[in-house]
Amino acid sequence: MSAVTDPPSLAYRRARRRWAAPYLFLLPAGVLFIAFLAIPICYALYLSFRGMRMAGGGPFGVRQETWVGLDNYVAAFTAPELLAGLGRLAIYGIIAVPLTLGLALTFALLLDLPRVRGARFARTAIFIPYAVPGVVATLLWGFLYLPSTSPGNWILERVGLDGVDVLHGGMLFPAVANIAVWGGVGFNMIILYTSLRGIPADVYEAARLDGASEWDIAYRIKIPLVAPALVLTGLFALIGTLQVYGEPTTLRPMTSEISQTWVPLMMIYRDAFTRDNLSLAAASSVALALGTLVVSVILLRLTQKRSFGES
Amino acid sequence: MMRRTVPAMATLSAVALALAACSSGTGSGGDDAGPDGPITLDYWAWGTAQQPMVDAWNAAHPDIQVKRTDAGGGTDSSAKLVTATRAGNAPDVAIVEYNTLPAMIVAGVAADISEHADGLEEEFAPGVWSQVTFDGATYGVPQDAGPQALTYNKARFDELGIEVPTTWEEFAEAAETVHEADPDSYITTFAPAEFGGFAGYAQQAGAEWWSVDGDTWTVDFDDDASVAVADYWQDLIDRDLVLAEPLLTPEWNAKVNQGEVLSWPAGLWAAGVLYGIAEESAGDWAMAPLPQWEEGDPAVGFQGGSAVVVTTSTEHAEAAAEFARWMGTADEASAAQIEQGQYPASLAGQELTLESDPPLLMPQQEDYWETAAEITRTTIPEISWGPNVNVASSAFQDAMSTAVTDGAPLRDVLTTTEDEVVEDMRTTGFEVTQK
Repeated sequence: MSAVTDPPSLAYRRARRRWAAPYLFLLPAGVLFIAFLAIPICYALYLSFRGMRMAGGGPFGVRQETWVGLDNYVAAFTAPELLAGLGRLAIYGIIAVPLTLGLALTFALLLDLPRVRGARFARTAIFIPYAVPGVVATLLWGFLYLPSTSPGNWILERVGLDGVDVLHGGMLFPAVANIAVWGGVGFNMIILYTSLRGIPADVYEAARLDGASEWDIAYRIKIPLVAPALVLTGLFALIGTLQVYGEPTTLRPMTSEISQTWVPLMMIYRDAFTRDNLSLAAASSVALALGTLVVSVILLRLTQKRSFGES
Repeated sequence: MMRRTVPAMATLSAVALALAACSSGTGSGGDDAGPDGPITLDYWAWGTAQQPMVDAWNAAHPDIQVKRTDAGGGTDSSAKLVTATRAGNAPDVAIVEYNTLPAMIVAGVAADISEHADGLEEEFAPGVWSQVTFDGATYGVPQDAGPQALTYNKARFDELGIEVPTTWEEFAEAAETVHEADPDSYITTFAPAEFGGFAGYAQQAGAEWWSVDGDTWTVDFDDDASVAVADYWQDLIDRDLVLAEPLLTPEWNAKVNQGEVLSWPAGLWAAGVLYGIAEESAGDWAMAPLPQWEEGDPAVGFQGGSAVVVTTSTEHAEAAAEFARWMGTADEASAAQIEQGQYPASLAGQELTLESDPPLLMPQQEDYWETAAEITRTTIPEISWGPNVNVASSAFQDAMSTAVTDGAPLRDVLTTTEDEVVEDMRTTGFEVTQK
């Protein structure tokens, strides 16, 4: 219509403007994406094929960066520490993920009950640990765990029982996972709770008219309807597990049981900074990132049909 | 150089420092006022003695002003030096521990300062000087020395009627007496992560982990001497006569305060660290020479100690070298070190200690500095560290922690460490023979 009445040049300009607009809007995000995501990733990929090697003779010859092909990947995949670290992650994840999600869902459902008292206070109280920085939370729990500073042990000893040292032996994994659960439940609870509040009230009304109890409503209506949010929080928890670093690193000085390669990210840090082998660290990082991607895609594929419907 | 006193807090402060380092972005050379104005040198150093030393320098040298940054303890600071050098924003001068210096040379951080080192050698004992010279080139000025000694809780020793052990055999007997008399108390701690401490004990027994002949390195961690040291501690751990846990945790500090840890065989800096965590027990402690493997052989190794290094990134090499020399040799610098309980590396500085008060932990021990001087005279003259002590120490720490936790043989840790060290050196391209 406008093309008929307007002069051709104006139409052309408008069309061009229309063509340019989305790209202009994309520009800021695009620049940030390229500068802070794409380039670093490409650089890490590049680094993972490089290595510091001796140049020139002498017992103290200076090392220089050269092309080393797949050496770093071979070293990363043959390192027994990486496999052992992934094994520890699995134990940690089996404890932390179900507990975090289970507790978050339970709290969200409880807070969503009609006529619940003190909901606002409870919501804030459950959420607050998430606002405590991870390192601070770990130091705090570390002091609670160490026998000499633990109030639990103080009480046990007063009653005449032996204190427990949770940072050694079988209690170590639950102790580390506990810190993540303590900090993570609040965040996940808020996501699930928000999703619960988004369910229209007439659904519940209809259910109650049909004689459903609160338990039935929770189990047959609420949980299926918040399934997408559950998958999302599950995915976050899984990725969070693969990225565990802060808690064990902060606890490490307090126990001999946490090695410098306790989890994969700690090994990457050790290689990069303690051992000055950035290339090996880059190769391990690339491998870990690809692994995370694969696991995430599998998880989404498995749950997509059930939680997001046919589409 | 003194250790970080609370590792847990060190992690925290390292994070804060890393953030601070990111935001400040100081370039090498600092802000020059102009061609004729004063030069500003950036200096990375940790420990309580550094700021007073820098202040004294700045007051006396208006043309060369020094700005000090605490970039974390030994391990953190060295790791950051390497990254900063690659990024082109390393400081002009930095503190580096003796055992990390070879790694800093290979990484291209430490500059050869031989041309500024005239007459420097005479200022130090040969054992100390050998820590900063490699292949005939000088890479730093020694600042403090940490010969190993036995810092012990004299009040508790007296209470239990224990004589100060002069040999490790007597030490083991004393360990038994202590634990029998008081099941909550231990004569000392075997901390699996203390690579430097174990290295010192092994050196005392005659171990030579790295040696170099021409261009070829020889690596031998599981020699007879080191294995004997591992077996010695194994026996004490198996009989529950020493506390096998990390040092300087809130847990350990509490035990030291309760008088349940009776001694710490470590570098001379131990007095300062113990004062930091157990100030109230000052006066209970004393220092004696380290027990010997063979009676009458007074040799001891070093644990810790550090040098002032000029970096390859500096634009003011001459001024930086002048500052490094002053930090290592000037009387004012030594006095500031002594006041903080650090033992100066220079002969003149060590002379100066004889007129000083004993450290705050043992104000009653009048002969503290005489004893220290005597110990220093008997340190092993030639100790060579390899180019990848960082790999050795991280491999050792993990293997030793696992061995202690799982009750596996400690001597195997030495073989594991050696294998990792050799593999790393071969990958990098060094010529290595493994023994």
